[in-house]
Amino acid sequence: MTILAVVMLTIGVWSQRLLGAFVVGPLLERRPTLTRAAGLIPAAVVMAVIVSLTITRGGDLVFDERIVGLVAAAFFVWRKAPFIVVVAVAAVTTSLLRVLL
Amino acid sequence: MTSTTKQPASSPRLSLIDFVTMAVTFFALGVTLQVLLIEAGTSSTRAFVASVVIFSATSEFAYLAVRNGGGSDWAAIVAGWVVATRFGILAVSLVPRLPKGLPLRVLAALNAFDPNVAMAVQQENPKAVEREFWRTTSAMMIGWFLGIAVGTLLGNVIGDTSRIGLDAVFPAALLAIIGNILRSRDGFVAGVAGGLICLGLLPIAPAGLPIILSVFGVGVALLVGRLVPSQTRLP
Repeated sequence: MTILAVVMLTIGVWSQRLLGAFVVGPLLERRPTLTRAAGLIPAAVVMAVIVSLTITRGGDLVFDERIVGLVAAAFFVWRKAPFIVVVAVAAVTTSLLRVLL
Repeated sequence: MTSTTKQPASSPRLSLIDFVTMAVTFFALGVTLQVLLIEAGTSSTRAFVASVVIFSATSEFAYLAVRNGGGSDWAAIVAGWVVATRFGILAVSLVPRLPKGLPLRVLAALNAFDPNVAMAVQQENPKAVEREFWRTTSAMMIGWFLGIAVGTLLGNVIGDTSRIGLDAVFPAALLAIIGNILRSRDGFVAGVAGGLICLGLLPIAPAGLPIILSVFGVGVALLVGRLVPSQTRLP
């Protein structure tokens, strides 16, 4: 991680929290469609990060045990399991498959 | 706590067990993040400083995902910004419910994460919102700062993190974080569309672009919402 990245990400994250709270929030109040759209952004972009982290490695597409780990975790998310359980299931499934296969 | 107002059963309170669970969760998250940052070639000191000041594991991971995919620094930074919109949205729902007073509101906005906002917005009055917000926040922060400290120390020791499945932890953690949004029909469609856009672009677009362009998944969800009446909720 470069110093530029540390600085720019800090500015970006801090300012989005403050802008959201004190600028965008009041603006959105009387615009229901925009509010709904804003609420959906995390679902779309975080899912994209999940996909990227699951199927790439060092710039290449790599389909491996991580996918199974994520599917197992997804089942527990759907069953509303505690966060720590979801994370443990992903790690254990993935590493077990690597040991066994 | 001298409040005489009765707490209705519908407002959840953070029990001691919840407090410990939350701290342990963020401890695990902090350790994982540091180990992966250091494995990706960041020096221990910089990895520690980064996690203290950026205050968003999601953004750091979006950044890493793009950099590891061969993307430029700026593409990775923009990806980190895009995923941080989540925090802006959390701040939108939190801040109006807090008691009046700018300094504490600013401080709360800067600490807006998913678990503490989710806990706070379920409370009945501003005082309770503030109390549960900061109780949840302190649990998270204790875990987080201990976690990044331990993770920074472990980062140079653990070596191959994939053996213990650490590379699968963050996607799973992110999935748990957005789990509640995905339960609504619109959220589910936005998530699937965003994921598919990314999947389709990954082999052809420069690294970073798939994550940035996945924001159009929101448009797909709004379009589907307009075409199909929204009565259905997923289990």
